[in-house]
Amino acid sequence: MKKNDPIPTSRRTLLKAGAGFLGASLLGGLPFRSFAQAAALKPADRCFVFVYFSGGWDQLLAFDPRDPDVFTPERVAETRILPGYNLFTDGTAPFPITPAGSNITFGPAVANLTKHYGRMAVVRGVNMTTLAHEEGMRYFITGKRPIGAAARGSSTATEVVGQMVPTVPIPSIAYGVESYNDRYPGSANALRVSRSKDLVDTLSPSTRKLDSQIETELLALGGEPVTCDEAALSAGGVGDTYHTSRDQVLQVLKGGLSEKFNFAVKNTENNAVRAFYGLPDAGPYDSAAGRAALVATALKLGISQCVSINLVGGLDTHFGTQTTHLGNLRTGFNALSLLVDDLARTPHPSGGDFMDHTTILVFSEFARTPLINATNGRDHHLTNSCLLMGAGVKHNMVFGHSGDIGMAAGLVDLKTGAKDSNNGESILPDHIIATVLASAGLDYSITRVEPLKPLLAT
Amino acid sequence: MRRLLLFALLALGAAGCGEKTPAAPPPVDGQLEPVGNPHGDMGTPLPDPELQDGRVGRSPRRLTVTQLARSIEVAVGRPWAGLEGGLATTLGRADYALVNQESTEPNLVFAKFLEDGAREVCMAQAAAEKSQASPEARVLSRTIPGPLTDLRKLSDAQVRELLVYLSTRFWGSPLQGDELTRWATFFTKAAARAEAITNGRDQALAAVCIALMTDSRFLTY
Repeated sequence: MKKNDPIPTSRRTLLKAGAGFLGASLLGGLPFRSFAQAAALKPADRCFVFVYFSGGWDQLLAFDPRDPDVFTPERVAETRILPGYNLFTDGTAPFPITPAGSNITFGPAVANLTKHYGRMAVVRGVNMTTLAHEEGMRYFITGKRPIGAAARGSSTATEVVGQMVPTVPIPSIAYGVESYNDRYPGSANALRVSRSKDLVDTLSPSTRKLDSQIETELLALGGEPVTCDEAALSAGGVGDTYHTSRDQVLQVLKGGLSEKFNFAVKNTENNAVRAFYGLPDAGPYDSAAGRAALVATALKLGISQCVSINLVGGLDTHFGTQTTHLGNLRTGFNALSLLVDDLARTPHPSGGDFMDHTTILVFSEFARTPLINATNGRDHHLTNSCLLMGAGVKHNMVFGHSGDIGMAAGLVDLKTGAKDSNNGESILPDHIIATVLASAGLDYSITRVEPLKPLLAT
Repeated sequence: MRRLLLFALLALGAAGCGEKTPAAPPPVDGQLEPVGNPHGDMGTPLPDPELQDGRVGRSPRRLTVTQLARSIEVAVGRPWAGLEGGLATTLGRADYALVNQESTEPNLVFAKFLEDGAREVCMAQAAAEKSQASPEARVLSRTIPGPLTDLRKLSDAQVRELLVYLSTRFWGSPLQGDELTRWATFFTKAAARAEAITNGRDQALAAVCIALMTDSRFLTY
């Protein structure tokens, strides 16, 4: 397990002494805190994005498509699979997509994301073992089978930041997604937001202000060297952490980071973000593309290491049509494609681009039945798929499979990925989460399973 | 013969035991008789502070959200309305559904919203005190006699008295020495500036209140 080195106990003292000396001689008595603020935000060396498609997605439209010429309505009694691609009413081509050079065949909804086949691995035939929304979602968020509907263990994002202890100011953001912490310090808790405005508020200066001169005096008073009393309270770490946090607040506020998340503000950077993600000038920005832009901003500016996001909803289409589900899925995948484009075009300070330093897990709580119900929708189905992208995993490959009769979860040799109907095992969300953790060299023992090693890059 | 021998041994034993018990000196006038610790020997002394980063006893802890809410209400004289209005979970309160453990980590989010909260309650309280004539009804200006008038006219002793009162109220320990001087200078400058602003007399008191409330001594125990 990776552990950060403990902060030397004399660090604060040394910094104070150094700042005092340098402050007096070089910086004209600049207060210690101001001196400490010189450190700039730096993106985490390894980032994670957990993308949740809410409601249960149709895998025939996404990562586990079927050939409509083989799985025809005439054979449905035999196959129990009806792709339904001919039911699209929006002009979408009624075929799966296989880009040139790709080893992965995608459903029609994956749309623009298919071009990133060289950065992804698809896992098919994931057995969710539940058809309840909350259970399935919490199972994938934690990698542990919930007890009833109650989540067990910590979110994977919490595990990541709990183990890696990043120095970014808000290590984990959970946007419209649940987050759990059952064994890590509070610093591993996700900042939970339900709207982009919540995040903007967190990063914005207080709306209640004193006179500017008094504000300056107040800041200077807070920047004075600590007293004996304060030092005694700092000795246990709480005071130190609090002062560091206050420095970070000042740094974040000074950096005007709220403006960077408030895409309605007109400036060169935001104009570029709006143009890239196709966002309207005046909002709203809680669309799938707006959320993708928020994820990219949080990672690129070094605000967060992990972002968990509910990218798109409206997928629980028991009564919907194929076209409704297709449209909602495609909105999510197109937004995800933009996010990948953005991360791939942005150089990371440690070398390469951000996609080289970011692992993305895309999941939903379960899939939808391969047969269409009497109300033209699809119900809940156990056999799911998920997508792994970016750092630490192999690319352009498929692991696992679903059966050609009723899309049952296929049994595979977990060590090789080969079909093994006799001695194989089901792929569970536990394996996926173990793989995500192992992809960054983190301790995955909480999942109590081995990762899917054929998927790991090293 | 046996009885004699047994008697002799018992007599010797009794004499031996008596020798081991030192006779307590009679108490002198005005001295209380020493009372033994009913819990017995307490054993292990406190650890050497040098061995635990200068700490004596347990490590300081951050207030929980409930403690913080009550502390603010008691120290400032009014509750932080926004705290229960949605910020409690953000600041660390466990809901025992999604978060099982109360977080007392003074992280960035806590620091940010505590600053916001300090401004909310301190500015409101300071503004309210402008119209309160009786010092007993006021909190942030309790030691200032009479109605709240020009704060620049306070003597240095009065400023120090106010700051000592407020620091004791907020932290449980008074400002003293150089630190008191520094805070007094801060208050004097803030008061001078506040009087120059139209209707801004309360700002000096609010500024001191914010500084006290966002100090680590307020949120640790």
